[in-house]
Amino acid sequence: MLASVAGSADAQSVPAGYPAEYAQIIADAKKEGSLTVYATTDAKVAAPLIKDFEALYGIKIDYNDLNSTELYNRLIAESAAGTGTADLSWSSAPDLQIKLAADGLALAYASPEISGLPKWAVMENMAYGTTYEPMAIIYNKALVPAEDAPKSHKDLTKLLVNKTAAYKGKVTAYDPERSGVGFLMMNRDVKADPSSWELFKALGAADIKVYTSAGAMIEKVGSGEHLIALNIFASYGLLSMKKNPNLAMFWPSDYTLIATRVAFIPAKAKHPAAGKLFLDYLLSKRGQAIIAKGELFSIREDVDGKETAKKVNEELGDKARPIPVSRELLETLEQSKRLEFLNQWQAAVKK
Amino acid sequence: MTTAPAGFWARRAIIAVMAVFVLAPLLLIAYQSFLTAPFFDPKAQLSLWAYDFVFAEADFWKALTTTTALAFGMTAIAVPLGALLAFLLTRTDIPARHWLEPLLLAPIFMSPLVLAFGYIVTMGPVGFLTLWWQSYFGEAPWNIYSFAALVIVAGLTHAPHVYLYASAALRALPGDLEEAARVTGASPARVALDVSLPMIMPALLFSGVLILFLGFEVFGLPLIFGDPQGLLVLSTYLYKLTNKLGVPSYQLMAVVVMVILVIALPLVFVQRFLLRTAQRFVAVRGKAVRTNLVALGAWRWPAFGLIFGWFFVTILVPMAGLVLRSFVSSWGLGITLADVLTLDNYIELFDDAEVVSAIVNTIGIAVIGGALSIACYTVVALAQHRWPSAWAKFADYLIMLPRAMPGIVAGLAIFWVFLFTKPIAGLRTTLIAVWVAYTLVWLAYGMRLVQTALLQVAPELEEAARVTGASVVRAMRDVTLPLIRHGMLAAWLLILLIFVREYSTAVYLLGPGTEVIGSLVVSRWNGGAVDLVTCLSCINVALISCGLFVALRFGVKLHG
Repeated sequence: MLASVAGSADAQSVPAGYPAEYAQIIADAKKEGSLTVYATTDAKVAAPLIKDFEALYGIKIDYNDLNSTELYNRLIAESAAGTGTADLSWSSAPDLQIKLAADGLALAYASPEISGLPKWAVMENMAYGTTYEPMAIIYNKALVPAEDAPKSHKDLTKLLVNKTAAYKGKVTAYDPERSGVGFLMMNRDVKADPSSWELFKALGAADIKVYTSAGAMIEKVGSGEHLIALNIFASYGLLSMKKNPNLAMFWPSDYTLIATRVAFIPAKAKHPAAGKLFLDYLLSKRGQAIIAKGELFSIREDVDGKETAKKVNEELGDKARPIPVSRELLETLEQSKRLEFLNQWQAAVKK
Repeated sequence: MTTAPAGFWARRAIIAVMAVFVLAPLLLIAYQSFLTAPFFDPKAQLSLWAYDFVFAEADFWKALTTTTALAFGMTAIAVPLGALLAFLLTRTDIPARHWLEPLLLAPIFMSPLVLAFGYIVTMGPVGFLTLWWQSYFGEAPWNIYSFAALVIVAGLTHAPHVYLYASAALRALPGDLEEAARVTGASPARVALDVSLPMIMPALLFSGVLILFLGFEVFGLPLIFGDPQGLLVLSTYLYKLTNKLGVPSYQLMAVVVMVILVIALPLVFVQRFLLRTAQRFVAVRGKAVRTNLVALGAWRWPAFGLIFGWFFVTILVPMAGLVLRSFVSSWGLGITLADVLTLDNYIELFDDAEVVSAIVNTIGIAVIGGALSIACYTVVALAQHRWPSAWAKFADYLIMLPRAMPGIVAGLAIFWVFLFTKPIAGLRTTLIAVWVAYTLVWLAYGMRLVQTALLQVAPELEEAARVTGASVVRAMRDVTLPLIRHGMLAAWLLILLIFVREYSTAVYLLGPGTEVIGSLVVSRWNGGAVDLVTCLSCINVALISCGLFVALRFGVKLHG
């Protein structure tokens, strides 16, 4: 709150707690006058952030709403073409973002907000986690009887083993073969709990239907074509629950994966100072408060509200399993390891 | 034959320019297929690795088999159906002929992605038609996720392409033979089979090859229908390949495109061959022959019923689902529609600045861009017109090539071309890039429209001008162009509608200022915004219907 008062009173002043040299970045950013953001977050969800930032600094944002593959394709091509690229890359595919950073496409920049972030959310002062989104299970509560409603991955395994016939073709998830997010999540499922393979086997026996888009899964759980969907970003779940009262969502009680949207400033950014300013804003308390209101879940422990890391951690205790912003994720992109995992998946679900 | 120097050079220059536009993205893809990394990556090396990888994939062979079966299956449905529709509409006294034709063409202008989603809402496992059926008759006999359903829907929605060619051929033929047959007592079915059919055989074969060709790159339908079963065709396999290795692997995508090209090229060759014979039939020599319609007699209403049935399954069923979905917040099992009706989806839609500019841009690119594209197509068509040469033949092949690339790959390639060609790099973030992409992807279709109009001009008229001393350019300007005015107007209308419909091509060019409805739909579909996608699709269909209606009101004939 303090920062926001100071900010609106005099945009030139350095936010509280920032080093004095920051005035130079602000001045440079103002000179640049605008910045371009490539992001996977819906333009509509990001709109309050953009509006607030523009009002705060008077710097215009060109916001490009892309999917994670498009974002990756554009960034590598533009970086190679030498025509300059976006000033912030903000994507919900952490593995691709880390790959870009590891390939030297990100600018090293130590944000003054680092101290407000968990350690696992920062990679080598380049890539930063900006949100704290539980990967939820959603189900159709009008059609799943109360006694069946699972609370955890283990419950789900049990349910599918005991009532295989009743749930045949009724459970859905991302296809790890056709969806990057799907692969990452299943890979992390196994990391979080090696017995996930039993769940996968049960899913296979129940003839799981796999999709490439969360929209299709949520839509079909809502309509009753399917009943339960795994690994759905809580932010999507919340939005769709507002529209369809039959949908219910929970954080699995045995462990819950936490995904974070990763942001970095591209090395070939056209407006690097403005990019830094926006990155810092995104990580600041002020920006994070807006993120929490937009149902993206703030990553800062010092932001209050329902959709925040604080609240999620209160509910989950030590069961939160954040997917770290680190080189560890590069492993999932190694061809041989990836194909091996997919073969195991195939064998488990026997498709 | 003496050729005026201006025409001599102009023809070659025009074809050369077109060749650059067609071949640049294509050669880039071909080059990419032989590399180990993206072509702009300094670590990229020449290798056959990508081919080895793809050919070793079981999924690739499965996708290839499925695609082949799909292509042949849909051709087997679309060609007879399209021919029958053409016969009924051009040759018989079927009721409401003038109303039926624009309806018949509707599927050409509707994005298959959108149609497929509409089918899920109506005929999916919990679609409202399925639920209704179940409440009366028990288990529904259809499964829209089956391969059979995919083939049938693809066949039904592609019949209008056949209709276009078959009806054009029928219109170009005098009706006296059919009349003679009918007078001597042959039934309408006999007339159709024994008289009309043999006469339009070349046109049918031609369109059959076209459908086969289109079958190898259908994308929207299998993407939606094949999703839950993991049913793959080559174009959706491209997607899978991208994710299988985690990062987009252009070399693998490029290999698949090369495979599609290798299949498509012989098809183009066959098509050229067929067209050569077909032209003998198509040429009309000035003299208009009034065609008398075959009286269907007792068959009038059954025939009408057949067309309506096709229309019901192909348009009404998916459109009903789509429109319904756009007005509800949820649907399906245990939901009473009256409780969930809402206008919120549309209200939210217009809150979205991107959507509003997408609608404006789409109209702009269709109306203005469409006209410019037709102008380009006409220039190329004139360059080839009545010029029996190797150049013209070469151009004929070139024209078909961009269509062999799935739209999304073509879009990506054009994105690269703009990005890495310094003088035009600035245009990439403008609608001009989108326009170039559209013009290129629809080159074959648009050229065919213009060429059809050109073919209707009897050579005598142009020859007359030449004999009296006009240059080639002058003869075209003063004789040919004025004569094909109406044909061009119709071509513009058709291209306009196609541009409104186009969805995957502009995805890589999407950004502030270049949003169009189609690419926004694809992009947001991935993001899960089903409400927005259905509303936007309904608006798109409404735009297309308005366009069609206005054009018909103003007397544009779909046939020149």
